[in-house]
Amino acid sequence: MDRGGRPLVYWLSGGFVFRKVVSPFHKLDPRVKLLVSGEFFVLSLAASSVVEVALVLAAIVSVAAVAKSLKRIGRTIVFSSGFAAFILVVNILFGLGVPNAVLYSVRFLAIISSTSVFFVTTSPDELEQIMRWWKLPRDVVFAFVTAVRFIPVVMLDAFQIMDAQKSRGLELEKGSIPRRVRNTIPVLIPLVVNSVIRSGELAEAMESRAYGSSPKPTSLYGLSARWYDWSVLVLGIVLMVGTLYIYRSVRFPF
Amino acid sequence: MATKRLSAIRPAAAFEQEYRLGTLASVSGLSFRYPDAGKWALQDIDLHVEEGDVVLLAGPSGCGKSTLLRCLNGLIPHMYPGELRGEVTVGGQKVAETPMASLSQNVGMLFQNPENQIFMFSVERDIAFGLQNLGVPRDEMRSRVDETMRLLGITDLAQRAPHELSDGQKQRAALAGVIAMRPKLIILDEPTSLLDPRTAMDVVGMIEELNHAHGITFIVVEHRLELLTPVADRLVVLDAGRKVLDGKPMDVLADERAGGFGISIPPVARLYTYLAKEGFKLPRPPRSPEELAQELQAT
Amino acid sequence: MTLIEFDRVTFVHQTGTVALRDVSLRVSKGETVAIVGENGAGKTTLVRHINGLLKPSSGAVRVDGVDTRKITTATLSRKAGIAFQNPDHQLFSESVESEVKFALRNFGFTEEAIAERCDWALNFFGLAEYRKTSPLVLSGGEKKRLTLACILAWDPDIVVLDEPTVGQDALQKEKLSQIVKMLQATGKTVIIVSHDIEFLWPLQPRLVVMSGGRIVADGPTGQVMADKDVLVGARVTQPQLLRLYLALRVRPDKPFFDVPTAERWIAEAAP
Repeated sequence: MDRGGRPLVYWLSGGFVFRKVVSPFHKLDPRVKLLVSGEFFVLSLAASSVVEVALVLAAIVSVAAVAKSLKRIGRTIVFSSGFAAFILVVNILFGLGVPNAVLYSVRFLAIISSTSVFFVTTSPDELEQIMRWWKLPRDVVFAFVTAVRFIPVVMLDAFQIMDAQKSRGLELEKGSIPRRVRNTIPVLIPLVVNSVIRSGELAEAMESRAYGSSPKPTSLYGLSARWYDWSVLVLGIVLMVGTLYIYRSVRFPF
Repeated sequence: MATKRLSAIRPAAAFEQEYRLGTLASVSGLSFRYPDAGKWALQDIDLHVEEGDVVLLAGPSGCGKSTLLRCLNGLIPHMYPGELRGEVTVGGQKVAETPMASLSQNVGMLFQNPENQIFMFSVERDIAFGLQNLGVPRDEMRSRVDETMRLLGITDLAQRAPHELSDGQKQRAALAGVIAMRPKLIILDEPTSLLDPRTAMDVVGMIEELNHAHGITFIVVEHRLELLTPVADRLVVLDAGRKVLDGKPMDVLADERAGGFGISIPPVARLYTYLAKEGFKLPRPPRSPEELAQELQAT
Repeated sequence: MTLIEFDRVTFVHQTGTVALRDVSLRVSKGETVAIVGENGAGKTTLVRHINGLLKPSSGAVRVDGVDTRKITTATLSRKAGIAFQNPDHQLFSESVESEVKFALRNFGFTEEAIAERCDWALNFFGLAEYRKTSPLVLSGGEKKRLTLACILAWDPDIVVLDEPTVGQDALQKEKLSQIVKMLQATGKTVIIVSHDIEFLWPLQPRLVVMSGGRIVADGPTGQVMADKDVLVGARVTQPQLLRLYLALRVRPDKPFFDVPTAERWIAEAAP
């Protein structure tokens, strides 16, 4: 079923939903993609001045450009700016002092963006491969991957439910806060019910295809790093160490 | 008992022969009641399915069709315990005593909603899902996945994600996932009810091809009987948990009692019955309105 | 009197797909219109414009003279009720009774009117015995009837049925047929989106065929369905009785619209 005019939430969440793209970054072994995002994450945390965070953000944006996903990462930045501003205001109100408050909020922005880079460029199947590599239990891996696979489906359900209830006179956009919260019940209950029904159907399909019969399921594809992956890995580590060194030795104005 | 022509796919058959291929699935005296239910969902069902048959299973909502299907593929009693009497045997295996892992390689099941049968993010990985669960080694998995995609004509969809597929393609991909396990019997629970008529006909065409060219046996539950009567060898009607009619599709539809059981009798079948009642016995049941027109003109 | 008007409507999704292309359609008060076409042809997108769930990217949709962009869906729904395909997308109340009253409360009816209309709807749809039951435990057919009861309770002028026969057995479809006839008898404007040609054929509505976001045919059922080329292009099948009629060399002036009519003709035409 098609749906146009998607609400803001759906648009914003695009920053964390995988989209198939052919790019030098997408091609990487998913473990390297995880590592790169992890490096951005660590560098954001380790930064002690806004300029340092800006460096990390610049690097994130460049990787997003290489991954042809600028628009998507852009959405994440927009999405987290709101929260970042909130953090800024709260910190100032709690007497933290403007320079530190700004640092914390900008750091937040960078951290969220680094995780966004990972989720936008890694498919649920690749997530599964990473989780298997970590030797996580079969059921945990399956539950996680299935959840990610069905996020867009459940969201579509939610919109169809909202349509159905709006057609019965439910006002989702007007009214006081308590009223609006109450008005989410006619949307949440069918959503939960539908998800339960869906889980039942999935369980039947799983059982019918012998899920759980072997403690060690095999897989169609395995992870194998090629020279391309290794070079990016090494480059990443070198850059991270270099950046940490710069953090320690250079004193930035703010 | 149904007989079936051997097609050229069977290596030994360079010529056509009529063979009785034997019973693939047999249900005797089957009764089933869900836990805490007052009514019996199935009462004393007897059913024999010959290998190579396409069996159409029909009946009003709540008649027990879905329950019967689940007794055949093992979901009952392995996933849905309850009070089970009688015996169900498929491919030599007693369903109640055989674990799902083993059963799933004999009986596959396709469900109504294509969306809820595709687990992986790419078609080929999803086709491999069942094989992964069974611990099939990678090389064999690869060749079976490729072979299955070729069989269903979806090799070009291998890397696609489920949301990039149309409903018809999703149903085909889901069917591929079932066929990869190489079952002899495939059960379909209203596989086309969410599809438009043309896409539904594509699915039926696929069933026909898989049956004729590869000898796979099918049991299909469907409300829109006119879609499957051209392809089905038998029509079995259930009502309130009991089997009430069982025979060649057009014979069953022509039966006077058929209308009383709440199944949708296609107009052509209803007219055939009417003509028979009025004393106009047509040489054979018409399979399409055009055939009926021809036969009317001939009398 | 034109009740629903689509004036050169184009609708483009946020992804860029064009779902409706330059669609113009006028529905008069009291008409019954069936919209057919394959999945993805734009039928569902079209009807979601009627109560304002979707607003056109260009062109205008007017219901009872008012442009749908000027009022909210909640207000438009008072006039145009849509029965969606999946009842599980709607049912949430503790009881069937409160489910029916939900929309009535939203539309601001008085407590008296709410009680009265609820009683009527439950009785009419044969759900009175389930008054205090949870809607979630009803059977598929009962849930469908409940969603219809909810809509008819607030008595909209326009009733839209979105794929009402999907997954329904013969008896349920027969009941739906009767409900449509009842709606027609009470002067409602009925829009049915369906790909179940056999269900639509005996009702003989005005038939609109959609394909690729456009309307490719619009006219009386018998006329539209006889044009095989258009139907094949739109991937729509012809009903069996029409095919029979067309295959006969000697036939009456009009196609048979149900089996009893065909039987009568055969009885008369036969020696």
